[in-house]
Amino acid sequence: MSSFALVGNPNTGKTSLFNTLTTSYEYVGNWAGVTVEKKIGDLKEGGGQLVDLPGIYSLHPLSKDERVATQYLIEETPSALINIVDASQLERNLALSIQLLEYGRPIILGLNMMDVAKSRGIHVDIQKLQEQLGVPVIPLIARTGKGSSEILSTLKDFGAVDSPVLTLDYGAAEEAITDIEKMLTSIPNLPNHRWVALQLLAQNPVILQALSSQIDMAEVDAISNRCEAKLLQAGYISSLPEWIRSVRAGFIEKLCHTVLDRSTQKPHNLTERLDAILTHRYLGIPIFLVFMFLLFKVTFDWIGNPLSDLLDGFISGPVSDGINNALDAVGASSFTHALIVDGIVAGVGGVLVFIPQIFVLFFIISFVEDSGYMARVSLLMDSLMEAVGLNGKAFIPFIIGFGCNVPAVMSARSIEQPKDRLLTTLLIPLMSCSARLPVYALFAGVFFQSHQALVVLSMYVLGIAMALLLCKLFSSYLLKNEANVFIVELPPYRLPQGRSLMRGTWEKGKGFLRKAGTLILGGSVLIWFLSYTGPGGFGVEMDDSFLAKIGGLLATLLAPLGFGTWQAGASLLTGFLAKEIVVSTMNIIYHVPNMEGLQGQIALSFTPLQAYSFMAFVLLYTPCLATVGVIRKETSSWRWTVFSIGYALILAYLISLIIYQGGRLLGFS
Amino acid sequence: MNQSTPLLSLQPGATGSIYAIHDMNPILRRRLYDLGVHEGSVVSMKQRGPFGGPVTLECNGQLLGIRVKEARGIEVSVC
Ligand SMILES: Nc1nc2c(ncn2[C@@H]2O[C@H](COP(=O)(O)OP(=O)(O)O)[C@@H](O)[C@H]2O)c(=O)[nH]1
Repeated sequence: MSSFALVGNPNTGKTSLFNTLTTSYEYVGNWAGVTVEKKIGDLKEGGGQLVDLPGIYSLHPLSKDERVATQYLIEETPSALINIVDASQLERNLALSIQLLEYGRPIILGLNMMDVAKSRGIHVDIQKLQEQLGVPVIPLIARTGKGSSEILSTLKDFGAVDSPVLTLDYGAAEEAITDIEKMLTSIPNLPNHRWVALQLLAQNPVILQALSSQIDMAEVDAISNRCEAKLLQAGYISSLPEWIRSVRAGFIEKLCHTVLDRSTQKPHNLTERLDAILTHRYLGIPIFLVFMFLLFKVTFDWIGNPLSDLLDGFISGPVSDGINNALDAVGASSFTHALIVDGIVAGVGGVLVFIPQIFVLFFIISFVEDSGYMARVSLLMDSLMEAVGLNGKAFIPFIIGFGCNVPAVMSARSIEQPKDRLLTTLLIPLMSCSARLPVYALFAGVFFQSHQALVVLSMYVLGIAMALLLCKLFSSYLLKNEANVFIVELPPYRLPQGRSLMRGTWEKGKGFLRKAGTLILGGSVLIWFLSYTGPGGFGVEMDDSFLAKIGGLLATLLAPLGFGTWQAGASLLTGFLAKEIVVSTMNIIYHVPNMEGLQGQIALSFTPLQAYSFMAFVLLYTPCLATVGVIRKETSSWRWTVFSIGYALILAYLISLIIYQGGRLLGFS
Repeated sequence: MNQSTPLLSLQPGATGSIYAIHDMNPILRRRLYDLGVHEGSVVSMKQRGPFGGPVTLECNGQLLGIRVKEARGIEVSVC
């Protein structure tokens, strides 16, 4: 089967094009680096497979996700490449295109953002561009899908023909290129040799690594040293990699001169006017904080909670009654009855009622990503992040972490420096993800009814404050990083489209639903079973169950924190699977039919101070199972993975201790 | 003859062409190059960030932010 690869600069509309070309769809975002792993989809009309590679500026990688793309090109042989370029940023985008054209596989240039270019008064002569580069150039508006059928039909009758390879004249470096090409002749399965030679001479680390065992690197060094000496003699002071870049830049400049007409170019009016306010020296940060506050208001008070109450009424009313009646009708045994009603309905239903809050939160995060505001947030936060030893870019994974820590850890890949990346990865679990929300919503709803949004917000702030504090600590003592750098691209603001917002929300939220159907379902059954059985056999009293015994072991340990009951111990233990299971477990333990019932039970078992301490503990105590898995994968180190659990446990214990004991000293209860 | 001045001395909205880049972290320098910011390219100063935070620059219609301490190494000649 044919496979095609989609390559281009970050934020040029790759994901959007991928979505219109394939039958499956992906996640779209308006900040550099949303595609963090290579993604594969089936082309419409059955034309083969399409691989969406992470956005890159050149084949010479600086960050981990950029490596993925170069690695793909050297290890696999795509039938053809689709290079998507931003028509309103042609010059910058072509730097990558040149390297792809040299790669020697058939290639289509997808000229995207034609609408943006047009509205900014930039005219691209497609005919001329096509002639100069010798490959098909197809104008696109990926956002609306315009041009995608042309791409599909061009791909169809492609493949077989070998398109001409672009050959630039590298002047003084030509001899070195020929020498290296000679060394490559004996190696099988290499892409175009001239391309490999150029990448080697340009010191591309991925290519150097891939070939290090197959050719004599000392010889390569000797060749490039000879060449640099020659360059020096000819009066160029630049190094060989710089020389190669400058030859390409010269070609692009000439090309743009003939194909681009910028005579009517207009500035980004809207973006400039918005930036003047949103990234204002003094107003920028307050606006961001107000925005965050509104986010919580909307998620809880204004939209989320009312919907959640409706859903709760529906699940505890018609749904439960229906299930009860059905079980009675088929004459289910009391065991089955208890399993389904007290285990599954209570456990899964208890979590499902929080769907509205979680989807509203994901919707707002998608909006922020798509609009272009996310990149501004990293700009605003850079000073703060620099003070604690990171850079503003790390703030983006933090915000994504509010939705779910798993994609947040993956998105940390776009951070250039390995130490910054590790630090960010380790701290993401302190960002309060949506799975912790059910716990806050439950407790805040019982004890802090009039200030619900504020109390929940305080949990998020606590998480961020701890992350900043530990960041300072870790970066000063544990992971001393050399000068950290910061650079962020600020894409023009765009009004997010309804369709892509819906997709983004669904993509993120469906993980929650899937979890409810798998992990939480399984966990609920297990927890119910442990609560139903005990040393005394089946159907024991809850207090004599295995669950009570297990939870009891933790109770003494947790007593100084204010929640030394076996119920709290058991819920926290099971909460490691996924934090929303804390609520499922409580539903099962307290044996209540709906949220109101559970709230009543909780009101009896906790005081407000204990509840607050419990919430803080749930926030901090350990990354959930899925997050631990992804931390292990991204850091490739068990040591750091164990560290991420260990520090979180200690931190949670300390903070809850301070909250509870300190609160008591101050006279709260 | 144009005089070269530090980029940071430009008023918001002013434009200059890059004359030299001194003492810059190599990673940052590469990334700037990728974004089309190098000797000879025309940049304009857009905005100063909050609390001595990053400055916003524009180059070829692309907006980008870098830290003040790094921007200090950039010299421009005002057109
Ligand atoms: N106006 C306009 N916006 C587009 C076009 N293609 C993509 N976008 C928007 O550009 C942003 C980035 O797109 P995305 O597909 O995530 O780019 P990627 O980072 O390269 O994968 C999103 O907000 C898209 O809606 C287009 O042709 N015209």
